Formats: sequence, C-alpha cells, structure tokens
Amino acid sequence: MTFDRDNIAAVADEYVLGLLEAAEVADLEAEMERNDDLKAAVAASRERFLPLDTTVEPATTDETLWQRIERALPEQSASPRRNGQGPANDNNGNGWRATAIASLAATVLLALGLAFSLMRTVEPLVVAVLLNDAGEVQAVVEDFGNENAAIRLLADIDVPADKTIQVWTLPSKEMGPVSLGLIEGIRSTRLDGPSLPLPKDNQLYEITLEQQGGSPTGRPTGPILAKGWARLPR
Amino acid sequence: MLMSSAPDELERSLAACANGDRNALRHIYDVEAGRLIAIAQRIVRRRELAEEVVQEAFIRIWTHAHQYESTRGSARGWIYAIVRNRALNMLRDGKREHAIEDIETLQEKDSSDDVMTAWYRLDRNSRLYACLDALDDQRKRSILMAYVGGYSHGEIAGRLRLPLGTTKSWIRRSLTALRECMA
Repeated sequence: MTFDRDNIAAVADEYVLGLLEAAEVADLEAEMERNDDLKAAVAASRERFLPLDTTVEPATTDETLWQRIERALPEQSASPRRNGQGPANDNNGNGWRATAIASLAATVLLALGLAFSLMRTVEPLVVAVLLNDAGEVQAVVEDFGNENAAIRLLADIDVPADKTIQVWTLPSKEMGPVSLGLIEGIRSTRLDGPSLPLPKDNQLYEITLEQQGGSPTGRPTGPILAKGWARLPR
Repeated sequence: MLMSSAPDELERSLAACANGDRNALRHIYDVEAGRLIAIAQRIVRRRELAEEVVQEAFIRIWTHAHQYESTRGSARGWIYAIVRNRALNMLRDGKREHAIEDIETLQEKDSSDDVMTAWYRLDRNSRLYACLDALDDQRKRSILMAYVGGYSHGEIAGRLRLPLGTTKSWIRRSLTALRECMA
C-alpha cells in the first residue's frame, strides 16, 4: 500500500468507510504513527462523515452494560505509558504513604517498585527510590541481601561515552560507602555486590558518575546523580 | 441536530479519564452510549454483538484517553471512530457471518432500512447531505452502505448487481467528488 500525497486522501476515506482489507488497515494504522499528513487526512475524513453517526436514533441503554465496562476497567496508572501493565496502584497502601519521600510522584513510584517486587517470587528486603537534587525520581534500587540487588532507571540519565554509572550503598558509617556494581550502558540491571550485612531500613543508596570500569579508589569520586533511603516493604 | 453534550465537554471528560476519573467515563457513557450502541448495531447487526463492541470501545477510550489530541478533530469523532473500528474489526473476524446465516431475510431488510434511515435523518442543511445528494442514487447508496452498514466492496457489488471492479472505481470516484464538494 502506498501513501503518496495524491493518494492519501483517497486511502483515508476508504479506511474511514471500512473498505480496506485487514492487512491494509494494519499497514495504514502503522503508517499513521509517523505520517502526519495521513493522520490529518483520516481525521478530516472522520469529521466529514460524522453527521451520519451523530444523527442516529439512540438505542436504549441499561445499567448492566455499564457494570460490565466498569468491572473490566484497568487502573489508570501515573504514567500513561504503563497502561495495562497490571496492578500498579493496588499496593498504594498506608505503609507506603507514611514513608513517601517528598512528593506524590515518589509515592506512586514507591508503590510501583513494590508492585514490581511483589510480582516476583523473591522479595527484596528493602526498596530505595533515588532522587536527584531537584527531587525528581531517577531510579529504584531493590536490595535482596545475599549479595544481590537490582536497579531500575526511571529517567533518562545522560552518560558520556567514557563514563559509567556506579551504584553505592552505605551499610554503616564504620564501613563507609560500598560499591554494589556498575550499570552497563544506561539500562536497568541486576547487580552482584560484595557480601554485606543485610540491608536495613533507612540505609543510604546512591548512584554516581564514574570513569569506565568504576571508581579507581573504591569510594565514590564522581558527582552524585541521585540518592535515597531504603524502606522495608510493609 | 441538537447535541446533548457540547464537544468541549467531551474533551474535558477525556482529559479526566486520562487522569483516572471513572466518573468522567461514566459521563461519556451516559451521554453517548445509546448512539454508540446503535452505530455498532448498524454494522454488526445483533444487539449483543453491538454491546460487546461498545464494552471493548469504552475500555479502549479509558486506556487511550491520553492519546486524544484536540488538534486532530473533535473528541466525539475520536470516540465514535473507536467504536466504528471495533465494530469493523468484529466484521473482519467474521462474527457477522453467523448472524447472516441465522436470520438472513430479516437482517437483509433491516440493514437496508438502517442505511436509508441514516440518510433520511441527516440534517438537510448540512454540507454532507448536499454533497451526497449531488451523487446519483446508486453511488450515494453505495457510500452509505459502506459507512453506515459496514459493507465491503464485494457485498456492495453483490447487492447492487455490479461487477466488483466497477463498484470499486465507482466508490473511489464518488469519494473524490464528495471531498471536492465538501472542501
């Protein structure tokens, strides 16, 4: 199927009238995502024919159809992109609210972090939401103890080609900051850290920008990108 | 034609849906469900299939409300298009075929009535009415059969007793004439 300038209006009309085959419909809907002219032509065509629909004699309605709709509605989550991805808000209970960090967004993300952790068989011992200086959520760390932790980046962090993001925690003042590992590229990752005491409530986690291969000193040397304090899932 | 809800009210409802307000979706249901069921039923014929279409459409309105852009047409047009697309998809999946086998004669009469009823109910002062009226009767009917009844090229050709190729080029030319007339 072609979407030439001359052809667009005609194809849009046939789409709106329902005259295209299933495969052509799929092609057109994919093309619409990137072709603004086509999108506009479809919108214009819809508006042209809309009076044939708005003037229809309404059917009788009843409460049972609405009840069926309402039962099937998924929760609307904080970020529209997460639509349909499960019970993200079902865990937004009082325990999380009480420990919310700074903002409603952080609260919701804590709940998301918990939901994420609940969907797996192994539960993390603590979850930490990491915020930048502006108070914006950047990442969630889940620490499982047993030398295992996972970090999910929740913001686009600009990492220069010769740098890397290193994840740290502060098990105690005596031990000082300990590296949990590096994030490969700018993706979320599982970390295999050293053997440490079990993570506790209020333990500090942070991510810093370090040179390739990680901090040469074994202590954070680069700028802190985000930090946050652990919470125990309630 | 008097609208029971101003378009900008539907726009506000969609925005509220995107923010998780179920009352806003309920409002859209209260204002539009009767028409939406009727529109779906013109295409899928059976009431229970039409309700299935409308149910799926409302879930999609809810989950995709954030994608509505007012610069791309009216909120009403966006909502109706979702219902029309669900109904047309159901046709392509072949559900209506069973309905046709079940009650062929009755349904045949009903659907051609539906198509002409849509024509008679159209506002005589509208651009669409004037421009459709400028087409000859068979061509006007073929456009209405497609849009209102969800008929395919083949079904229209069969009912108007015309070769398929002729029907396709008729419809294509009629649509071009309509676009020029309404521009």
